[in-house]
Amino acid sequence: MSIYIYDHAKEVTPMERMFACYSGEKTDRVPVEVHPRWAALEYIGVTFKEAWDDPDLFVKAQIMAQERFQYDSVADYIMMGPVEEAIGATLKYPEDDVPQIAEPFIKTKEDMKKAKWKLDPTEDGNMPKVLYCIRRLKEELIKRGKGTQQVPIVTWGSCPSRTAACLTGFKEWFLIVARDPDWAVELMERAFDGWLKMAIAAHEAGADAIWINDPVSSADCISRAHYEKLTQPYERKYVEAIRRETGMKISFHPCGNWHDRLDLVYSNQADGYFLGPMNIDLCAQKAVEVRHSGANPHLHFLNGNYGAATKTSTANRKPVPYATTLKFGTPDELIEESRIIIETVEGADIRCMLGPNCHEPKSIPFINRDATVFAARKFGQYK
Amino acid sequence: MSQLEQIQKAVFDGDEQLTVSLVNEALAAGLNAQDIVDEGLVKGLHDCGAGYEAGEKFIPEMLMAAEAMKASMAILKPHLASGEAGAGGNVVLATVEGDVHDIGLELVATMLGSAGFHVNFMGPDVETARIIEAVKADKPHLLGLSALLTNTMDEMPVIIKKLEQEGLRNSLKVIIGGAPVSQDFADMIGADGYAYDAAAAVPVAKRLRAELS
Repeated sequence: MSIYIYDHAKEVTPMERMFACYSGEKTDRVPVEVHPRWAALEYIGVTFKEAWDDPDLFVKAQIMAQERFQYDSVADYIMMGPVEEAIGATLKYPEDDVPQIAEPFIKTKEDMKKAKWKLDPTEDGNMPKVLYCIRRLKEELIKRGKGTQQVPIVTWGSCPSRTAACLTGFKEWFLIVARDPDWAVELMERAFDGWLKMAIAAHEAGADAIWINDPVSSADCISRAHYEKLTQPYERKYVEAIRRETGMKISFHPCGNWHDRLDLVYSNQADGYFLGPMNIDLCAQKAVEVRHSGANPHLHFLNGNYGAATKTSTANRKPVPYATTLKFGTPDELIEESRIIIETVEGADIRCMLGPNCHEPKSIPFINRDATVFAARKFGQYK
Repeated sequence: MSQLEQIQKAVFDGDEQLTVSLVNEALAAGLNAQDIVDEGLVKGLHDCGAGYEAGEKFIPEMLMAAEAMKASMAILKPHLASGEAGAGGNVVLATVEGDVHDIGLELVATMLGSAGFHVNFMGPDVETARIIEAVKADKPHLLGLSALLTNTMDEMPVIIKKLEQEGLRNSLKVIIGGAPVSQDFADMIGADGYAYDAAAAVPVAKRLRAELS
């Protein structure tokens, strides 16, 4: 990677850049949204548990790393299970990884009765800790912006199918989908409320945008028919409720391979899509088709990805690495893949965000993080 | 359609009740238990795996087929000649520490079990020390490691290094699998084999088992 000098004064703030992109508009260049967790923790040298036990430390990590790497957002404790925990599931808290559900909480229909479905995010479980983190991020960002927040806070939400799967265990969830779809619907119906309330509370605490994911409805997991009949309607219901209740911009992460159902997922009314490891040409083409069909008037951006969503890396169902270029590749490889992503997405007249194709892995070399923003500045200028 | 073909189709369809019923009928009719396994159950599961590869079957259908197979194997086990089960060799399977995903690995366990391997399925989130202990205790021919997360795949080279340190590495072959890993990653960390999914794991396991002989 050669040294690339830019004139910082000509750049708009990350807030302006991100919100323009969310709305399909152009500012100075494409933004970089990496859904940062490990970037932040590794930069200040703390474990996840240390930052979980001390939310102010997490806030410090987020702020300092954003200033250092210059990507375009900060995040709260994303991709965790505070709602599932408050419903009744037991989480295991590893020393240096995010908490995961220790064992399935709902094994039978009878277990539904022991769950606490109506939640208060300001009181139940660890949800208040997440909200505290958002409030502190807001305070610090406004302070550092001398009265104006210049970097958006992106929170996270779990769509009902994911929440249901977390509560039952993934294996049981898939069997329920096939054997007892009525129960699957009941689970999603019950699971809906907690994460909606959490999204509303996060917005009230200061979150500016949200990303939602569904890791259980891809073509790697269930059939298109099951997706269309069972889980997609609840995704859409969740997205529409968040927009109605908060007005937040919504990025949706279809995790995995969704080639055969891009039309359906793109119709769930999100503002844009944080793509999994898929063919970027196909993803851009389908987005154009859906937009022209009127099935999703909100669709404005694709969070294009490194490492897999390139022209050569995926074809239908062949083996796909996750975010591996970001972790194991060279800066030059990252920059080249970024160029392809930017040119493909922007070439379809859809706004491009750069980011990993899965949640950012641990131990990404700092120079590869730098290469991300470098590529956005070099190839993503709107001039 | 022959009885074995009916069993094959029942497994393919994931119909556990029908599969068990047909297996009982086949035994009553005097069919050889090993033939029921090889020509009925295994073929049905392989067909399902091929359907998954082709994008026609999905995880729920694979799981139902595996459940049908497991229920049938419980019936057939007393009828199988001693020495046949496990004749392919010993396998230890584990999802690495910190990773709670084991659906794919459970399918691998079912497929390898039906292919004649004796499988110690350790399940998800297995500490490295426990895997090493299992290798010492079971003396397996193969160790299969799975990870679904980019963060947990890092534990795989740690386990391989630990096997080397304990003097166990040359006694077995290591196969890795899971969504974030690839053949390149397997080569990089010094694993002996890589399988994209459960169906692919069986020929890789057989090849590596043969290399050890």
